Amino acid sequence: MKLNHIKYIVLAAGLSFAGCKRVLDLQPTDKVTADAIFGDPAGVKIYMANLYYQLPIEDFAFFRAGFNQNGGDPNNGGFSPAMETDEAVHTEFGDFVGDGDFHWWDQGYKLIRDVNLLIDYIPTLKIRDDERAALKGESAFIKAFAYFALVKRYGGVPLMKKSQVYTGDAEALKVPRSTEKETWDYVMELCDEAIANLAATKGSRRASKYAAYALKSRAALHAASLAKFGNRITLTGPAVDQKLVGLDASAANGYYKLAIDASAAIISSNQLSLYKPNPTDPAQAAENYRELFQDPNVANDNEAILIKGYSLPGNNLGHNYDIWYQPAQVANGWPHPGRMNPTLDLADVYESYTAPGASAPIVTRTDGNVTDYNGFNSGTSYLQFDTPNDIFKNKDARLWATAILPSTNWKNISIIIQAGFVKPDGNAVIRTKDQITVSGTTYYSYGAPDVTMYSGFDTYGGNNTRTGFSFKKFMNQTKPIEAGWNRSTSDWVEFRYAEVLLNYAEAVIESGQGDAVLAAKVLNDIRHRAGHTTNIPLTADNVQRERRVELAFENKRLWDLIRRREFHTEFNNRFLHSLLPLQDLRALPAKKYIFVRVNVPNSGSKTFQPKSYYRYVPGIGSNGLVQNPQY
Amino acid sequence: MNKFRLILFLSVIALASCKKDNYDGPTAGLSGNFFDATTHELVQMDIIRGTQIEFIEHGYANPATQTMIIKNDGTYANTLMFANTYTIKIREPNFIPVPEQEVVINGQTKLDFQVTPYIRVKDVSIVKNGTKIVATFKLQQNVINNVSKIGLYAHSDSRVGEPMRVVAKEQSIGAVTNPATVYTLEIDIPAYPNELKAGNNYYFRVGAFIDIGGTKPNYAPAVKLTI
Repeated sequence: MKLNHIKYIVLAAGLSFAGCKRVLDLQPTDKVTADAIFGDPAGVKIYMANLYYQLPIEDFAFFRAGFNQNGGDPNNGGFSPAMETDEAVHTEFGDFVGDGDFHWWDQGYKLIRDVNLLIDYIPTLKIRDDERAALKGESAFIKAFAYFALVKRYGGVPLMKKSQVYTGDAEALKVPRSTEKETWDYVMELCDEAIANLAATKGSRRASKYAAYALKSRAALHAASLAKFGNRITLTGPAVDQKLVGLDASAANGYYKLAIDASAAIISSNQLSLYKPNPTDPAQAAENYRELFQDPNVANDNEAILIKGYSLPGNNLGHNYDIWYQPAQVANGWPHPGRMNPTLDLADVYESYTAPGASAPIVTRTDGNVTDYNGFNSGTSYLQFDTPNDIFKNKDARLWATAILPSTNWKNISIIIQAGFVKPDGNAVIRTKDQITVSGTTYYSYGAPDVTMYSGFDTYGGNNTRTGFSFKKFMNQTKPIEAGWNRSTSDWVEFRYAEVLLNYAEAVIESGQGDAVLAAKVLNDIRHRAGHTTNIPLTADNVQRERRVELAFENKRLWDLIRRREFHTEFNNRFLHSLLPLQDLRALPAKKYIFVRVNVPNSGSKTFQPKSYYRYVPGIGSNGLVQNPQY
Repeated sequence: MNKFRLILFLSVIALASCKKDNYDGPTAGLSGNFFDATTHELVQMDIIRGTQIEFIEHGYANPATQTMIIKNDGTYANTLMFANTYTIKIREPNFIPVPEQEVVINGQTKLDFQVTPYIRVKDVSIVKNGTKIVATFKLQQNVINNVSKIGLYAHSDSRVGEPMRVVAKEQSIGAVTNPATVYTLEIDIPAYPNELKAGNNYYFRVGAFIDIGGTKPNYAPAVKLTI
């Protein structure tokens, strides 16, 4: 009893003392104050790590739903932006660009707010001048990266040049959209600030002068293409009238010049080069190219300009490419592998070493017809091949390193991709499980008796390719699949020297400015790395073909189609295509294969709507911004 | 028991917060036709990527722009709108643009447009001739731009058009056309065994594309044929 009294007294005293403090001025103990973070360089480092994490890098965890789609339950079904283009289809589902896809608005402004807060504090930090310059440069780089991601989605956006302070009037915080031109120019200005402040260091996972130049090269080329090819579509409405979307054609050459200068600054520094630029033969070229993506750190001192690391298996620190995209035969317990199916359309684009300088569509018939997609016809004369991949002989090494071709080895297993067979009587069995015994030997329509022994065409589990190709680029050959989320730790190279060279070549040929001799040389340097020995001239077509094959699956094709305003003509009621490898049992006892070009089975046509070149601006009811055309 | 009381109490509170909203549902509507001002025929459209009507309801600070799709045959209807004044704009027209207008919508309102299509596709004949579908037609341009291409499109659905077809036979023009020229486009049926199956009905439609900001299509009505 007595003790209880004391307790109450203590409690009352405690309460009364507490009452002396001004409760509203208390600092919360579950949050760190700005001064505590920015007052300490280590705190700034942690803050920077968070900013880099938010950077809109279109990597393994980028999908139409957004960035960093690898936390919590990262199940996106195995989709990838490549499947919204002509690079690939999903094994199981159809998909195409919708209004709700590829947004980055709230997250963009959150990152810009976070980086603006840091910029406010940089002058007050007690750090050395070189560290201060580096921080200024990195902040500008991050901000430029963020505005580039916004402007390529929405056109002109509100420019938050410094952090806002809330003074009780929400209306005062509303900033109208700037014009698309002003927004691109702001991206250029931020790149210049980054370039001026950053050091020319190589192999860093933080922004360097080279990374800033590479960003400017990419962004300026994007803006230049929008200006040059803007007249391929017309959009109407208030956003167009106010120039919030669209660039004048007269702006094209200015942006091309910026792309040329930024790329040339990297080239002329002589500090960067292509990884293993002189292979002895195409086989070695294919292996070099494959290595570069399995682990870009091998090119830390030459080709890789900025790498995003995936350091540890687990949420946010690992990704899911290996479980989704390895061919079904190496699934190792993962229930839904093999989901990235490179298309025949992409495979056709790769050159042949025998006829350099042009796409080499895969010829399946003696009459050379490569436009018939009507399926197997017993009356047609097909070319016969001794193995399921002889048909790709002489194709550019990068095809072999980007896609797993039928019956090539992967992880010491022959990956069997077969769509059916033609019986000795001439009847074909295609995409149906079947077997036939001829002279004591049993043949299987899918190339092997059991679903665990092949990787093509059977619809079982949505696991087997339906295009005839499985996926290789970025796949880790050295480790077995771990059947769980976020177990892949291969790193992503965001900027690499080859892209800078291609940007240079494109800007030169499209604008007639810059050094055409150097542009042709760098274009051919990339081809030499891929095992080519014949030089081709600098033309717009050659540059675009080279981009498609060199940068395939690096999530560049989507934006190339958008910036060059080619999406709506490339995808106008378009079917994508598959290559069906069939064993021709009519040739027995010889082992022969034929191939049939068809539309991708079980899929429809795709049409791109011109309004989709711009995403809709979210929340116009409350933010009062002008909406983009036709939304 | 206590638990039961709590649940009862909470549900009373929950229900109390639901007030039935007493606004009327959308009872008005807008419908009409796009007529060729000269021939008084309906102007044919594309259902995908075709001309659209944008309408903005007055009386709101940040009104959302809503969109109506015009049907293939040049008619349109939205029977669920709120009675009010609206701004009506035509987007991506395949006819010489018309100014926006304010319309009071009260009950089911009718609003027709008299327009001049960029191209009139005239004297159309689409017939099956042996194993071929043969289309002949003339073009009458109403603007000076080039005709970029002409096409004959086939689909099992009557809304057939350039973006919605299983087979297309197209010809690039890239010039101003002569109204006296007869154009012929042919689809060889056996060349498309998967797309055009014998015994089935298909719709065929010819179109011409004027080169105005990309290309804008004008069509003649679709023709149904059994092949």
